[in-house]
Amino acid sequence: MSLDTNEDHGDHGGHHLPAVDDWPRGFGEASWWPFVTAVGAAGIYVAAALFVLGRGEESIVDPVLGPAAFAGSALAFLVGVYGWLYHAFVVNFWERGTDRHSGRTLRFAMLLFLGSELATFGAGFVYYFFIRAGAWPPGNLPHLVSSLVLVNTAILVASSFTLHFAHVALRKGKRNRFLALLATTLGLGVVFIGGQALEYYEFIVNEKFTIAEGAFGSAFYGLTGLHGLHVSLGAVLLGIVLVRALRGQYSAGRHTSVSTASMYWHFVDVVWVFLVVVLYVGATV
Amino acid sequence: MVPGQLALTVLMGVFLVGVAVFLSRVEDWRSYRPAAGSGGYGEAVGEVRREKPGGLVRWLTTVDHKDIGLLYGTYAVVAFAVGGLMAFLIRVQLITPGGAIVDNSFYNSILTSHGITMLFLFGTPIIAAFANYFVPLLIGADDMAFPRINAIAFWLLPPGALLIWVGFFTAPLGVGIEPAQTSWTMYTPLSAEQPNPGVDLMLLGLHLTGVSATMGAINFIATIFTERDESVTWANLDIFSWTILTQSALILFAFPLLGSAIVMLLLDRNLATTFYAVGEGGGPILWQHLFWFFGHPEVYILVLPPMGLVSYILPKFAGRKLFGFKFIVYSTLAIGVLSFGVWAHHMFTTGIDPRLRASFMAVSLAIAIPSAVKTFNWITTMWNGRIRLTTPMLFCIGFVSNFILGGVTGVFLASIPVDQVLHDTYYVVGHFHYIVMGAIGFAVFAGIYYWFPVFTGRMYQRTLGKAHFWLSMVGTNITFFAMLFLGYLGMPRRYATYQFNEAIAPLDLVTLSHQAASIGAVLLLVGQVVFVWNLVNSWLEGPRVEDGDPWDLRETGQHDREFAWHERRIETAITDGGSDQSSAGDLDPAGSGDDPNAAGGDDPTAAGGDDSNATGDDPDAADDGRDQ
Repeated sequence: MSLDTNEDHGDHGGHHLPAVDDWPRGFGEASWWPFVTAVGAAGIYVAAALFVLGRGEESIVDPVLGPAAFAGSALAFLVGVYGWLYHAFVVNFWERGTDRHSGRTLRFAMLLFLGSELATFGAGFVYYFFIRAGAWPPGNLPHLVSSLVLVNTAILVASSFTLHFAHVALRKGKRNRFLALLATTLGLGVVFIGGQALEYYEFIVNEKFTIAEGAFGSAFYGLTGLHGLHVSLGAVLLGIVLVRALRGQYSAGRHTSVSTASMYWHFVDVVWVFLVVVLYVGATV
Repeated sequence: MVPGQLALTVLMGVFLVGVAVFLSRVEDWRSYRPAAGSGGYGEAVGEVRREKPGGLVRWLTTVDHKDIGLLYGTYAVVAFAVGGLMAFLIRVQLITPGGAIVDNSFYNSILTSHGITMLFLFGTPIIAAFANYFVPLLIGADDMAFPRINAIAFWLLPPGALLIWVGFFTAPLGVGIEPAQTSWTMYTPLSAEQPNPGVDLMLLGLHLTGVSATMGAINFIATIFTERDESVTWANLDIFSWTILTQSALILFAFPLLGSAIVMLLLDRNLATTFYAVGEGGGPILWQHLFWFFGHPEVYILVLPPMGLVSYILPKFAGRKLFGFKFIVYSTLAIGVLSFGVWAHHMFTTGIDPRLRASFMAVSLAIAIPSAVKTFNWITTMWNGRIRLTTPMLFCIGFVSNFILGGVTGVFLASIPVDQVLHDTYYVVGHFHYIVMGAIGFAVFAGIYYWFPVFTGRMYQRTLGKAHFWLSMVGTNITFFAMLFLGYLGMPRRYATYQFNEAIAPLDLVTLSHQAASIGAVLLLVGQVVFVWNLVNSWLEGPRVEDGDPWDLRETGQHDREFAWHERRIETAITDGGSDQSSAGDLDPAGSGDDPNAAGGDDPTAAGGDDSNATGDDPDAADDGRDQ
């Protein structure tokens, strides 16, 4: 639906008008995608429940059910999200015109989401501060401040800079530089995730330091795991932005999702620096 | 075995999809027509694309904030019924010291689920129902900032409720999944060490509802900040939207923190982590800190929007502007900020550092100030006003009355020495039920009655509405005052039985008080049955409201945006309607003419003779006023 069909209603120019090509077709105020997305998301929780019920010697349900339900639900969730976002933002990117208002709203919503993320991470850090304030160390600590962590930190910090300058390049209209820096950022992010996986491997297999390894193990795997999930999500977001950019979307005036994705990425980066300082360095000094 | 189960699951899935498809094809699924009119529903006449699909599909696919508001409301009323029946069972159980009907573990289950249901499945969603429906109308937005996120947030709630309640369905099957018996606070180590997987399911369900609440909160803040009409500024933003804005900000920080705390508890239960382990880990005190850092803002998450509802509705029937509007806004913001600094007053008896305790006492007592500002402003609004005792107004006044009782008892509990005596007694139960039922519940009822014509296009039955109020008011005060008294007698809370030694407490008096509380609960139950009957019956068969100003708010200049919208909708429907509707203003409302039920609902009130008979849908009077 184009922007001008709604102007006689005297509202904000109809920036909420839903996607041009949606399901079910022909209904402006209806869409199956939110329902599909929600069913998929709720299914992931049901899958977690089935996983819990499938554990142990005398499991209540078949252990296969949990992972199977997870696969199905994740698929439904992704299909829902894809249908929703693709039709709302991607498919008619250039036709739907510029709208400073909705770009501002999306950036503001990302800011609010990051505010809620502070609380999400906050609970884990509070646990760590609780035990750090007690008798220290609580058992054997692994070799925390290794060259791997330092290199990984440098990589993630560098990726924030490359992303920032990618954004700057886009706003100056230097498209090739934008694409190159964006791809570099994504590459650095993937290397970081690989580095984290390598560290987990070192700790779990070589040092026998697992999540069940006492008070510090809970804090370490809880916080780095939560952060790792966030970096992975960030990489997915950057990947989507990169694909859209490669297909010719975005311009100096149209870059809302570049800026929301980079807000998220910078946030995750800052959390990592804080995490290294208090969890890696703070545990050893 | 494995393929068999998988095949069965797939088969069930296919079957359910089949049922959904069948239902969606049923044409006359009580198709919803908000206003008197045939033809399409929607603001844009003649623009086919703005119409909605019919039948059940309409509700599953809707992204319209008003429809989603109705979905939230329906969901919340169902949860209210479930939680209310659980509460009623609790009260029946406690009629005799040995417990009257259920065994102790079932008592623990319903005690837990009553709290969880009322707070997470009724309280937060019913507020979201009002906010969804009215915030966009009140700020002049055409919808929420993110209509689809709005729909997703709602559809996460029903599965959340199922996960929370699932233990009740599986317990009789004997598969080993019982309902959680952790109490709603889920204190560790009890909640960490109960082997029952029903606890895990409840925690997952809670996390899901928390995700939903957070999505809703982001949406409301973004809507109020960025979607306001040019004519709606921060200076003239209505009071209800202010409270929703503050509440959403609280949700934004409180619910994600609870989410993380819940995940840590799940990891402790299933992956042998030590987050809340006694000794080496954070211990039970960490859980309490995290839980109450969420839990106390949650109190204000639940009470601020109802305060907004009362601040919004009460002036309409006092014929005056809200007294001290600015200070009500400031006190709302003050409560919002202070609410994050009071959580440890739930932990005065846990042995935390006395210096910490004292500072939390000071902040907790300070919250009495903005609360009192509001209370005095409500009373002053009514002072010298032209009070019309309609059902919503009765509930508003009941709110103020109950809030004073619940609030003053809260001031006592905020004081460390008093709390140490009363902390684990029924005094606390009485205190917070005066707030959650006597205040929050009442404001919700006020909102439902006040906006019933907007929600449904019909009028509720006034006599039943008033019966609902008086049964609720008397029931609330009998039940919860008896609880305050039980607290003074030393009756510990949460217990399934109370056959204690006469030397500890006067058992006769305790039993008598419990019985009084249960009698109050019977009144409450009858009142809520009347409420639900009135709601359903009037929605289906009540007299149609043909008047865009059913409460006669124009006289006092209080015909606000949402009723202006309602009026536009009626007019649009009339111009769009069939020939018999073209002069609808001159006709009797279709409902009251041929429906004895509706007429019966109207007449006694009119005969009662107070001002409230002027508030009805008397078409002649109202239309005369409008036409000339």
